[in-house]
Amino acid sequence: MPDAPDSPAATRPRSTSHGFGRVLVAVYGLFALSATARAVVQIATKFHVAPVAYLLSAFSGVVYIVATIALARDTPRARQVAGVAITVELVGVVAVGLASQLHPSWFPDAAVWTGFGSGYGFVPLVLPVVGLWWLRHTRAPSVGGGGPTSAPS
Amino acid sequence: MTGPYATAIIVVALVLAAWTTVLLVLNRRPGVALLVGAGVLELMLVGFLVGGVVQMVTTHHVMPRAVFVGYLLAALIIPPAGFVWGLGERSRSGTAVLAVAFLIMPIMVIRVQQVWAGGHAGRP
Repeated sequence: MPDAPDSPAATRPRSTSHGFGRVLVAVYGLFALSATARAVVQIATKFHVAPVAYLLSAFSGVVYIVATIALARDTPRARQVAGVAITVELVGVVAVGLASQLHPSWFPDAAVWTGFGSGYGFVPLVLPVVGLWWLRHTRAPSVGGGGPTSAPS
Repeated sequence: MTGPYATAIIVVALVLAAWTTVLLVLNRRPGVALLVGAGVLELMLVGFLVGGVVQMVTTHHVMPRAVFVGYLLAALIIPPAGFVWGLGERSRSGTAVLAVAFLIMPIMVIRVQQVWAGGHAGRP
């Protein structure tokens, strides 16, 4: 287990890798595996066919790996890293999704994020939204902050 | 790619997924029986990998071979990984992880078949 911070329990964020987070990490892990494996094969065997799509596949693979590990580790630092990675993921899937609609010629072959993740049942579009919600849901209650999120039950 | 064998894997995976979902709904933890079932699935996946590679090297069939082997290997890795991560937390969520691992199996098998048929994994 990662080392827990010495903060009082009341202001400590809830674990990102337990409860629903367990399932979320598993799904992130699946995407880390599939996006990375796909990119490695594509770049190794036919990079010239669609270099932009394949580099984006590799980039998305790295983002998924970082998000998976960061969500699975329960440190404040990992939480920050997860927040950045998942935000990049959301921006990436929307930007690549738009680009692949507006300029299909840039993407002669599909990547994980082309068509907003349509090749993966649009899960890549939903996943970062769920991920950001989960980070928000599990964060520490803000001190004197009147946040609407209730305490864990 | 061997049709009936692939179909059998899909059926076994779906049965295990349904079983796990029942445990999930009843809020019960998986026992030894489910582990045995998953072991059977894993053995079938080993056979799928071996059979697939043998068929691949004994045919002149044109397809992206690295992708083919990649999907076969990924299918093999997912159930044990799901069990390690899922049983790491003896809770309803841990059981849900197992359900995800089983539910993904039919997709993996269908992808293997698509790659064998010559199409690549993504959209054209």
